[in-house]
Amino acid sequence: MKNLYIFILVLFIPWSFSLAKYDEFEDGDDIMEYDDNDFAEFEDVSEDTVTESPQRVITTEDDEEEATVELEGQDENQEDFDDADTQEGDTESEPYDDEEFEGYEEKPDASHSKNKDPITIVNVPAHLQNSWESYYMEILMVTGLLAYIMNYIIGKNKNNRLAHAWFNTHRELLESNFALVGDDGTNKEATSTGKLNQENEHIYNLWCSGRVCCEGMLIQLKFLKRQDLLNVLARMMRPASDQVQIKVTMNDEDMDTYVFAVGTRKALVRLQKEMQDLSEFCSDKPKSGAKYGLPDSLAILSEMGEVTEGMMDAKMIHFLTHYADKIDSVQFSDQFSGPKLMQEEGQLTKLPETKKTLLFTFNVPGSGNTSPKDMESLLPLMSMVIYSIDKAKKFRLNREGKQKADKNRARVEENFLKLTHVQRQEAAQSRREEKKRAEKERIMNEEDPEKQHPCPCLQKAALRREQKKLEKKQMKMKQIKVKAM
Amino acid sequence: PPSPGRYKPPATETNPALEDPTPDYMNLLGMVFSMCGLMLKLKWCAWIAVYCSFISFANSRSSEDTKQMMSSFMLSISAVVMSYLQNPQPMSPPW
Repeated sequence: MKNLYIFILVLFIPWSFSLAKYDEFEDGDDIMEYDDNDFAEFEDVSEDTVTESPQRVITTEDDEEEATVELEGQDENQEDFDDADTQEGDTESEPYDDEEFEGYEEKPDASHSKNKDPITIVNVPAHLQNSWESYYMEILMVTGLLAYIMNYIIGKNKNNRLAHAWFNTHRELLESNFALVGDDGTNKEATSTGKLNQENEHIYNLWCSGRVCCEGMLIQLKFLKRQDLLNVLARMMRPASDQVQIKVTMNDEDMDTYVFAVGTRKALVRLQKEMQDLSEFCSDKPKSGAKYGLPDSLAILSEMGEVTEGMMDAKMIHFLTHYADKIDSVQFSDQFSGPKLMQEEGQLTKLPETKKTLLFTFNVPGSGNTSPKDMESLLPLMSMVIYSIDKAKKFRLNREGKQKADKNRARVEENFLKLTHVQRQEAAQSRREEKKRAEKERIMNEEDPEKQHPCPCLQKAALRREQKKLEKKQMKMKQIKVKAM
Repeated sequence: PPSPGRYKPPATETNPALEDPTPDYMNLLGMVFSMCGLMLKLKWCAWIAVYCSFISFANSRSSEDTKQMMSSFMLSISAVVMSYLQNPQPMSPPW
């Protein structure tokens, strides 16, 4: 027991000594100085930091970041400093003294930012952004499409209303004059449908038949393309108007042979170029109708003066003067075959079929901005049409006129035959040449096996054939040259 | 005064194609643009194709085949959809 007590005492004394020392000398430097003051000068600064840092870790707060920052700050500062000023005791309470680190104020901040990850703002692609604004071009396109669809519906409805307004206004007149009003050709029996036939969103047809002297009458309401937005925009640049086109097909026995047209100068010039019959029979330029009391806007194209005289009676003049603004063109023709067809070279065509026709083209007033009420103003024009039908039936050329007319028609036919004759000749010539070439080739092919015979009696014949071959070769060369020419 | 003879209408138009070639041209243009849009992945081509098919439809005659219209329309819509599936970024204006 005594030995144990002695042992404990022995242990206790040095331990108490060490404690006492530690209490007195908190600063590590002092301890160092106390321990080895002589050798303090040769001590490295790094050793100091090594001894200091663990103590600082122990003594500082729980915040690890602060400790690490302090440590690193310490390290950096220690690297920069050559002096051993850090050994002073004041630095223990603060991580670093501002006064000591002159000119290195940014360093701690730099060290802060270096440690954290660099923040870069990446541009998010437009389609991943949650905003519709980046898709403004698409929205524009869709809006445009919607506008087109709206215009389509509005335009279609307007055309529909105009067509039905026209029909309602004219229905009585038509039904009193024609037995069959409205037929679309689908029924086996010819029954009157009493409806317009819609061909397009802007074209409406009506077929009327069952009247004396005419086979039938086709009315086409050619409205402007109000359903197409592009057309609407184009019309803002160039105003145009709706048209009513009436084509009356006359019976052969009910109309005499003449070609006559009256209308606006512009329309007549265009028709003269386009229409087969007007270009062939009415060679003169459109003449002014002032002679007959027509307004200046109207001009006349006629095959002969007698026809004009006959056509321009009082009632017709009355119609033409009163409704001059609505009339585009009026054409009476027994040789009507429609517009000129473009013929390809080398194609032989017969004379186009002709029909005795009265063709009327009227402009609807309003030049585009028509309302259903405007259709009523076209009613007198329909009366004019019916009057013209009767007039055409009654009008007959006198003997001189008839002779002239027959001469004209014979002349036109001759010209056409001449043209076609030339074409026919050319075709025949080319066919002949082809046949000749084919024959020569056959002869050439036949001669080759004959040459191989050694019999002398055939030598002369062979010589002759060789000569012929040479000649044919020369001919071929010539033909090739001609072809190349 | 009406007469007893009655007739049916003849073929109302012998050559409707000659008169107005707009729907046919627009149809063709629409197909060309939609193929360009699909092959070259150009969004604006596909949009123009949609417009062309709409214009063709608006100008078409009632006698025309609706199948043709529908096929052109569907092709242009598919061109638009495919262009956006391949590249969802919005269209950039040329300026």
